[in-house]
Amino acid sequence: MGIAILAVMAVGVALMLTRKVPTAFALTFLAIAIALLSGASLLGAENSVAGTVMQEGAPLLAATMIAILLGSWLGTVMADTGIASTLVRKIVEFGGERPTVVALGVFCVAILCGSITGSAPAAMLAGVVGIPAMIAVGVPPVVAAGTILMGIAAGLPLELIGWQFLSDAIGIPVETVRFFQIRLFPIALVGGMAYILVEMRRRGARHAWAVRVPAGAGAGAGATGEDEGPSRRARRGDAPWYALVTPLVPIVLALGLHVPIIASLAVGLLYALVTTVPLRQMGERALRTLYRAFDVAAPPIVLFIAIGMLLSAVRLPGAVSALNPIVSALSPSGPLLFVLVFAVLVPLCLYRGPFNIYGLGAGVAGVLVSGGIYPTPAVLGLMASYGQVLGVSDPTSTQTVWSAQYAGVRPEKAMVSTLPYTWAIAVGGLVLTAFLFLL
Amino acid sequence: MNPRSFFNCDTDALAGRCRDLAALDDVALGARLLRMTPTHDTRTEEALTAWARTALEVGRELAAEAPSPAAVAVEQAPGGVSPGEILLAEYHHRSGAVVVHTGALALADALVELVGWQAYFPPARVREAAVQHELAHRLLHGPAARTLRRRLDHRVAGVGRFHLRGHVAGADEIVAHTVAHARSGLGRSPVLLTLGLAEALPFTSAGRARTRPFPASLGG
Repeated sequence: MGIAILAVMAVGVALMLTRKVPTAFALTFLAIAIALLSGASLLGAENSVAGTVMQEGAPLLAATMIAILLGSWLGTVMADTGIASTLVRKIVEFGGERPTVVALGVFCVAILCGSITGSAPAAMLAGVVGIPAMIAVGVPPVVAAGTILMGIAAGLPLELIGWQFLSDAIGIPVETVRFFQIRLFPIALVGGMAYILVEMRRRGARHAWAVRVPAGAGAGAGATGEDEGPSRRARRGDAPWYALVTPLVPIVLALGLHVPIIASLAVGLLYALVTTVPLRQMGERALRTLYRAFDVAAPPIVLFIAIGMLLSAVRLPGAVSALNPIVSALSPSGPLLFVLVFAVLVPLCLYRGPFNIYGLGAGVAGVLVSGGIYPTPAVLGLMASYGQVLGVSDPTSTQTVWSAQYAGVRPEKAMVSTLPYTWAIAVGGLVLTAFLFLL
Repeated sequence: MNPRSFFNCDTDALAGRCRDLAALDDVALGARLLRMTPTHDTRTEEALTAWARTALEVGRELAAEAPSPAAVAVEQAPGGVSPGEILLAEYHHRSGAVVVHTGALALADALVELVGWQAYFPPARVREAAVQHELAHRLLHGPAARTLRRRLDHRVAGVGRFHLRGHVAGADEIVAHTVAHARSGLGRSPVLLTLGLAEALPFTSAGRARTRPFPASLGG
């Protein structure tokens, strides 16, 4: 039966890879198929498709979904009030004619944006102004796209939504997730800076006589509220300096004061509104940005509903007993083999592959955890390390597609440019995992 | 080839908008070019006009120092028109090479013919202007960049008599276009052609909608 489940998973990967079926739908079908193959009944209170997989699985990641909505709301407020674009403008003014300095500055902004929200909305937040600004000062387009992506990925270990997701998906306390992620952050930071410094040194500055679609008119710009006309932004001016620390507020609260994630994001949101919006407009502006945030948050929430069902399916007793012998036999034992084998398997998280944590990888993680193959924190380390690769280099990830196309390059080109660095970061994460949890 | 075939719109209306642009002087054109730069959407018209005027002056002064095109390797590449972008020429600082894109130059020539700007932008001269434009960027990697920053005098921070001058993104483009204008003998600044191409872009193959990221509607 285990072989049959793996075959179904392979079909699911093929459907996602060939884009025959959208990811969220494919994961839902997979969850139902795995449950049926595991001997689950259609109806019933325990171990059933309708009860366990659908009724309990769909809201399994509910806390993550609320965090996504709040993160998207905060991201929308940052775009709407000009906080993100002001940060980029200041960097261009100070960095000036040194493209590498500007790229490093925008990288820092992308880290902050990536720590607030994820995926394409984070890329837009930093990239709508950041990418054309970098290209304008001479950063080659592919490096401009890569800089945004590497920045978002470097912000991922600090992203509170990510903490909540990994905690819910792997079934591990948020404190453990935080413990690992703050140790992964320096590796991602150094990897991202190495990308900018080496690639700028290797390629050099590039200037062009070119005409481009104006910023804000590009694909998806509306999602973060950057679609307003220049006249309105001109009237509004830059966001005040004290508003520019908004992205740090939730991080400081959650990291420094151990405030729960949803409360940290809510305080960050309140701070952004209070520092940028006059009191009489606050209610209207808060509601308008909240409604827009639902648009931004809808795709990942749909995905997380499907992932919740998939996790419930692979945790069914029938699935665990069927998959456990196979996965145990295939999984490398010992810290050295763990690092070596999973380092070689890194490309399997690309193109919606089986190690994509925001897809079938969540199911694989569920199998590894429920089978007790590795200590649960090691599975967290494995998935967080792979998350660094797929968040940057996967040409089917929305942030990669958006950033590359907005910079005027193909997503595959962005993958080739960034993969050596993200692969190295993933290996660093695997070594860290082995050191912390397997020795 | 009929120049109208490059544009999928009411070409008379497009030509009319381009002629309106031609009625503007170089300073006003420069200010419009700066307005298209993404970091300037909150600037006042006065600030942009002042910066454009200064950049024009610096460009005219720099034209005398610009190197001869014979001093660099000029490569010719096909294409230059891709979704969202018309790329006429590029300069790579590492290799020092200038690449001109023939597809984009052909599109520029079509626009020139459509609007009746042949006197301003004779076909062969546009290519020469593209090379001169990129050579000017090479100059702007040297002391000229500091001169431009000092002359623009955009103060971003300061205490008392001491202040920090900020970079004005896009001003170097006006300088490069002004150098190209002076050195290639065009009737008008290439900024006019650039803004004309910006008007035309949505109605060319570069204005085609980019393929939407498939997973966009489904997260991840």
